[in-house]
Amino acid sequence: MAMTRREAFKNLAKGSLPLLAAGCVSTVLPEVAHAEEVPMPKGALGLLYDATKCVGCKSCMVACNQANELAPDIRTDGLHQAPPALNSFTKNIIKLYRTADGSDHSYFKQQCMHCADPACMAACMFGGLRKDKETGIVWWNGSLCVGCRYCEIACPFHIPAFTWDGFNPKITKCELCRERLAKKLEPGCTTVCPTQAVIYGRREDLLKEAKRRIAASPGRYFENKVYGQVDGGGTQVLYLSRVAFGKLGLPELGEESIPERLKFQHKIYKWLALPAALYAGMVMFAGKNFKEHAHHLVEDQKKTGLRPQL
Amino acid sequence: MTRWERSVPVYGVPVLNRGFWGLLIVVVIGLVLSGFREVVGLGSGVSGMSDPFAWGLWKNFNVMVLTGLGSGGFAVGIAAWIFNRTRLHQVMRVALLTSFLAYSTGLTMLGIDVGRPWNFYWVFMPWHWNLASPLLEVAVCITFYATVPLLLENLPPLFEYLIYEFPKWRGFAESCEKALTKVYPYVIGLAYILPIMHQSSLGALMLLGGDRVHALWQTPCLPLIYVWAAAFLGYNCVVLCLLLAKVAWKRDIDPEVLAELNKLTCWVVFTWTAFRFLDILVRGKILFALIPSYFSCLFWIETILIAGSAYVLYSGKGKNLQTMFLAHCTCALGGMIYRFSPTTLAFRPRNGAFYFPTAIELLVSIGFMALAVLGYIVAVKKLAILPASNDDWLKMAKYEEQVKPGIQLTGYAPVEH
Amino acid sequence: MAKIEKETIAQSLKNAGYSRRDFLQLCTTIVATAPMGLAFTEKATPAAVAKAVAKAKKPSVVWLHFQDCTGCSETLLRTSKPDVADLILNIISLDYHETLMVACGKQAEDALNSAVSENAGKFVLVVEGAIPTKEKGIYMKLGGRPAMDVLKEVGSKAAAIIAIGSCASWGGVPSADPNPTGATGVDSIITDKAIVNLPGCPPNPYSLLGVVLEFAVMGKLPALDSLKRPKFAYDRLIHDHCPRRAHFDAGRFAGQFGDAGHNQGYCLFKLGCKGPVTHAGCSTRHFNEMVDAWPIGTGAPCFGCTEKAVGFRMPAFDKVDVHLATPPDTYAPIAGSVGTFGAAAAGLVGIAAGALGGAAWATSQKLKSSEEATAEKTPTAGGK
Repeated sequence: MAMTRREAFKNLAKGSLPLLAAGCVSTVLPEVAHAEEVPMPKGALGLLYDATKCVGCKSCMVACNQANELAPDIRTDGLHQAPPALNSFTKNIIKLYRTADGSDHSYFKQQCMHCADPACMAACMFGGLRKDKETGIVWWNGSLCVGCRYCEIACPFHIPAFTWDGFNPKITKCELCRERLAKKLEPGCTTVCPTQAVIYGRREDLLKEAKRRIAASPGRYFENKVYGQVDGGGTQVLYLSRVAFGKLGLPELGEESIPERLKFQHKIYKWLALPAALYAGMVMFAGKNFKEHAHHLVEDQKKTGLRPQL
Repeated sequence: MTRWERSVPVYGVPVLNRGFWGLLIVVVIGLVLSGFREVVGLGSGVSGMSDPFAWGLWKNFNVMVLTGLGSGGFAVGIAAWIFNRTRLHQVMRVALLTSFLAYSTGLTMLGIDVGRPWNFYWVFMPWHWNLASPLLEVAVCITFYATVPLLLENLPPLFEYLIYEFPKWRGFAESCEKALTKVYPYVIGLAYILPIMHQSSLGALMLLGGDRVHALWQTPCLPLIYVWAAAFLGYNCVVLCLLLAKVAWKRDIDPEVLAELNKLTCWVVFTWTAFRFLDILVRGKILFALIPSYFSCLFWIETILIAGSAYVLYSGKGKNLQTMFLAHCTCALGGMIYRFSPTTLAFRPRNGAFYFPTAIELLVSIGFMALAVLGYIVAVKKLAILPASNDDWLKMAKYEEQVKPGIQLTGYAPVEH
Repeated sequence: MAKIEKETIAQSLKNAGYSRRDFLQLCTTIVATAPMGLAFTEKATPAAVAKAVAKAKKPSVVWLHFQDCTGCSETLLRTSKPDVADLILNIISLDYHETLMVACGKQAEDALNSAVSENAGKFVLVVEGAIPTKEKGIYMKLGGRPAMDVLKEVGSKAAAIIAIGSCASWGGVPSADPNPTGATGVDSIITDKAIVNLPGCPPNPYSLLGVVLEFAVMGKLPALDSLKRPKFAYDRLIHDHCPRRAHFDAGRFAGQFGDAGHNQGYCLFKLGCKGPVTHAGCSTRHFNEMVDAWPIGTGAPCFGCTEKAVGFRMPAFDKVDVHLATPPDTYAPIAGSVGTFGAAAAGLVGIAAGALGGAAWATSQKLKSSEEATAEKTPTAGGK
């Protein structure tokens, strides 16, 4: 039976009341759990990589594998550790940016950025990726990981690597040599770097050092910018470079962190108020119509003698 | 041409025919290859996924696209139960069955796609839920939806089957039916709020993809557009099932119900298309659609398939069954392409990365789709799912009484409650 | 032999006519040989080393030869700038050495007995050559007695034992398959004394000098690894200090002896070089005090003479596994290409799409014909 316009408006009005209530609830109630600003942990540790000092020796790649007791990736020729990118054997890689005519080049050390508001952590369903409260190190907990690879989709820096072969896959990424730090050692890469192109320390100290270098050598660094200071909400790994960061593969991110894009979603689901209100509205309508429907079914059964179908 | 009044099983057609065995072979191939994938892993040759393209055919198609197709349960349901379009009650069972099969095979496919499925039990432990993650919402919601409200909604035909075929179980089945009837409004309330939540969260998933999703698809309104597309995909699927039933099993058509479904489809599609364009205009990305490129072509193909089909349905031509069928086919195709784009077709992680499924991936995907189709065919033959008239029921009763003497399908006067 | 009062090294050198300059040169060489791993050279200047060495008493050394080729002694003698052999012989008191001493026959036997008894508990025993053990060790006899017994007797009275050369360290050449004499190294026979193995065929003479002086100056043996080899000389692989390493990292290999790559001095890995699995210092210390006077330097692949599992065991041209793979001289690009397009998959997609499209079309045709049939059946129904 077609609904009259009057009925339609009545239904709409009835339906929007609970929605309105829920809307008020969502906006009035205080924010829960997910804060808008994510402060950097007090003891945040990090790395400062100065591409202008890196000579591409790749000692950091060897040291990283040794420090993490990870077999090197020798799949290209069986002789050399030559991973083409970060992968399940490689937590840290030196890449080369070079122009086609060879006129300009720069090395680039790629590993986890240990973001202040990590996208991978927001993505992970059961908290398999978590950020240490003191050091801010983002690390992977295998017992909570389902292997859904959403972290790979979310990370703007393309860092988490999944073990594609075998039946016990892991997510592999730099964890700032957490276990070494516990023994008061430095991360593997910074220990062996011959030119001190990558150094380790507290993020605030590293940021100060980066700014000092920029001030001390004007024109040396691209746009006098420290990448990671605010990019993507701020990262604990900072970069200085002579060539544009985009050329090195670092994405252009605003100051907003990736998880901020889910702000609206979180507002809608706050306290599950809106869904609950919608549910209440639906049950109300469905219940009313169901009574009517059941009545029709009984009438039909009287006429035909056929069992009613729910 | 008839008037649909109740659901009647497909009778007189054997279940174990050539079609059944053919589909079963495809299913077995898919299952065997799934076992192989569990042992060998997801890399080198088993799937085309890689670190830049971490999600492939299984998640993006079998889960995200096919559950969109399987949204008939809530799309038709909301129209029937909330907006009181009473004629649509006759097609509810088809809609619910397609939903159930799409969701169960999709969920199983998800289980095969994830790398560490033994840890999935955390979905039942709220203290470890990361409430910030849209994927958590999807996982919890879909699991709960498929195992509780959707399953409960699909039980009535089973109860009836028990009541008619197994007199021993009659008492039990009748009391189950009565219990379900008592709580039915609460069940269907869940059955509509949950899919709205998770279909929109499926859209929210790609919000975290950021600029990897091309500007014509990436929008903060992605959840809304996704759930709206699920609605019309649901209608497409139901209409196609009904028309296919006519061709395969000579079922009669009720033009009134079909016209209602077509109208709903058009309404949903037009508002969807309008909103999509509005969204692109407001975000200032309309130029991407106008400058020729792979992405603009994809966008226009989607839009024309979807909106064009709805226009055909809306115009007089849509009354012709052949045109109706083709229009729903193209609309469904467009809708599926739309839901496949943000994750795969319009997803560019970085330069140089490229994804194409491997043969094994395709065979597993097809295997699970075949499983759903197989389930559907067996169900419509054994249970009262497809709609027909009361006369058709009586004809069926006569046939069944010959084949199974003693079965009582008529003469049930109402019991006074 | 008459008992000689042990003089200090300084006195001995002076008596032999060496200038302080020569001595300092020797000490510089020792520091260069072992900047780490030896206590007396650790963080020391050559002058400091000279001072310490000068004060030390000349250690007594008894040198026994068993199944040997005397190559290890020869390598010691093949030094000349300065005349290290001579220096060494004046730094240590070589009380018994079959090749270098004048005595023979009964006199030699007496020399050994008196050297051992006079310096009992204080002398350093250097063993060169493997010791046969089959059939009670009759395959090598010294003065009619099996080598095994001589070693046990002399070794029991030594303060420390240095097994020089691969033969004394683990059996060397005589122990190659099928090892008919049951040749074995010193540490298989003597298990209760401090032993220093200096494997190599031959080992570098400065390794010996370093060990002996450490003992003379500091009174103890240098830090040893699990195979009793002094770390200062054996802690590194040939591969890690090879001058041809850059060719390995760049993938430039000699394919055959005498081919273009070989002539260019490319890496000999493909010719069976055992450098990646051999611990020794040859790649930096070379031999005969001549630059590039070492196997790889002359274009011959290392055959792993210091390692028991490699030398005289692995076939010469068999390639070894590189245990610690390091990066080559190529770099990963900023954005590499990933993803394949399989023909089978493409075919499958085509077939599936075609099948679905065909089925849809066929169904639509059936619908059309059924509608027409219905229209025919009810011509008065307005053809709905």
